[in-house]
Amino acid sequence: MSTPAAMAISAPTQKKTAAPLIVAAVVAAIGFALPSLGVPMTTLSLLAQASIVGVLATAVGFLVRQSGFVSFGHAAFYGGSAYLIALLAAHSKLSAEIILIAAPIIVLVAGFALAFIMLRTSGVAYSMLSLAAAQACFELMMKWRSIANGEDGLAIKLPREVFGLPLSIFQRPDSMFMVSWAVLVVIVVCLWFLSRSHFGTLTLAIKNNEERVRFLGYETLLPRAIIIALSAFIAAIGGVLFALYNGFVTPMALHWSLSGEALVIAIIGGTRAAWGPALGAFIFIFLRDIAGNNTTHWQGIVGITLIVVTVLLPNGISGALVTLWNRARGVSNV
Amino acid sequence: MIIQVLNGLVYGGMLYILSVGLVLLFGLRRVVNFAHGGLFMLGAYAGYAASMQFGFWGGVVFSVVALAVLGALLDRLVFRPLQNVDHMITVLVTYGLLLVFEDFVHTVWGADLISVRVPALLAGTIGIGDTQFPVYRLVVIAVAIAVALGLSAWLHFSRAGLYVRASSVDSLTTAMQGVDTERLSIGVVALGTALAGLSGVVAAPLIALSPSMGSSILIESFIVVVTGGLGSFVGAFIAAIVIGQVHNFGVVYLPNVSSMLPLLLMVGVLIWRPTGLARTQS
Repeated sequence: MSTPAAMAISAPTQKKTAAPLIVAAVVAAIGFALPSLGVPMTTLSLLAQASIVGVLATAVGFLVRQSGFVSFGHAAFYGGSAYLIALLAAHSKLSAEIILIAAPIIVLVAGFALAFIMLRTSGVAYSMLSLAAAQACFELMMKWRSIANGEDGLAIKLPREVFGLPLSIFQRPDSMFMVSWAVLVVIVVCLWFLSRSHFGTLTLAIKNNEERVRFLGYETLLPRAIIIALSAFIAAIGGVLFALYNGFVTPMALHWSLSGEALVIAIIGGTRAAWGPALGAFIFIFLRDIAGNNTTHWQGIVGITLIVVTVLLPNGISGALVTLWNRARGVSNV
Repeated sequence: MIIQVLNGLVYGGMLYILSVGLVLLFGLRRVVNFAHGGLFMLGAYAGYAASMQFGFWGGVVFSVVALAVLGALLDRLVFRPLQNVDHMITVLVTYGLLLVFEDFVHTVWGADLISVRVPALLAGTIGIGDTQFPVYRLVVIAVAIAVALGLSAWLHFSRAGLYVRASSVDSLTTAMQGVDTERLSIGVVALGTALAGLSGVVAAPLIALSPSMGSSILIESFIVVVTGGLGSFVGAFIAAIVIGQVHNFGVVYLPNVSSMLPLLLMVGVLIWRPTGLARTQS
């Protein structure tokens, strides 16, 4: 909390109360209780999907919040991690547990290395570059039939037990929702703590004005690279969940329409709060399910929603909720 | 070999016409238009629809005019109202527009691939060395060269061109010198989108029309624009020609990794010169 520039954007002016924490704990608990409340299986399947996509959207939103970079290529980390699992499971003798842990770590390291190239650009060029890089991965897996089986994708060979749990736990909607919900909650809580830490404030300050932060004597390249790598890592964890749940991966997990979807979810949910993109994911997946049954214009609806939200609600739904909450408590908005 | 080079030039020429439109928009509005691929697609479909009535050339004219009008509307309804907000917001809005355009095309023309026939006048082939080369492909190269020459003449010898060049270097200072960038931009954005339409309608006989044709070429044109240096006309030209060659070489000789080659080229250029080939200052 030593950089004035950062104080200006993130200074918490709300009264410190336990209320938000209680709300968060209640929401998390409700999530865990859902499967035992007799929620239908189709709903649970949507919930499981939403939590997995929520992890990916959280990664995208985290990058926007802490660095201002708008990524159009996060599917590369997500699908890349799923492909790594599939390829390592098929071609190496490593145990499934090691593969499932190694995949996101490899993506983390790759993301860190990639960050130094990405950081040579700025702002808008970052978006263009992330899109191009991710789509190149998609094309690579699409065309390199001998290793990735092209469009048909790969089945992921996993043993019957993973981490001492039967594999079916990860492939049934009710139990997988619990697992992915737990992962999502842990990630959001970690990111919430991170955004309150010195490192979080520093990266916000760099986002606001990189030059000034350098003048204050901070190294600014490394923190940004770490943010990009962490965001890649979170997306890769989403990829692990996806791989476990589906047991199958196709190039569509790398396609830019998925990257775009994750970005739209993050923007609609709102990136100022760590939990915004996750909220966006649940709204998005359920709306898509409703719309899918009634119209073929889902893509157009998404496009219009994106335009309306970016113009009218720049902080997304979570931002609007926070404003309402503060107003209800009689606290002025930040 | 010469055939391969020519094919690379065809693709590079197409990319150039599309990318230079992006450069025009970026120069004046400091906005990367994610809907540009959508405009390319709309241009191709509009040309296809009009060609049913008025023949191929009628389709070309209709498509260019329709896209210029659409560009003028975009400038007034999207870029101008959003000029004072964060540029990322405009990027997201144009991305939303891309989704809407794709949905529109999908609704009107369906998801099936549509192939467009080369006009009868240009359907023949011409002997180059000991192989035959389609005349239409040579026409695409000629169109690209004509666009490049016309554009650079306009940029260098007209007052409006001078303003555009000045504005793409520093739009604030240009405005301070008394140039009405607002009035300028409606024409320039219309020109940029008309070029997107032109590239779409010219490319239509070479590639099949589908609602996803816009996004794949958008990515290649981004590579061109970033490699050339954001906002640089000369850079876009050189990068489009080089990437056309690299793309074609990759498809023929290294099919497995062909999609990686333009990207690797761009990464190499960015490491060597972070601001792209032609840009000297950031």
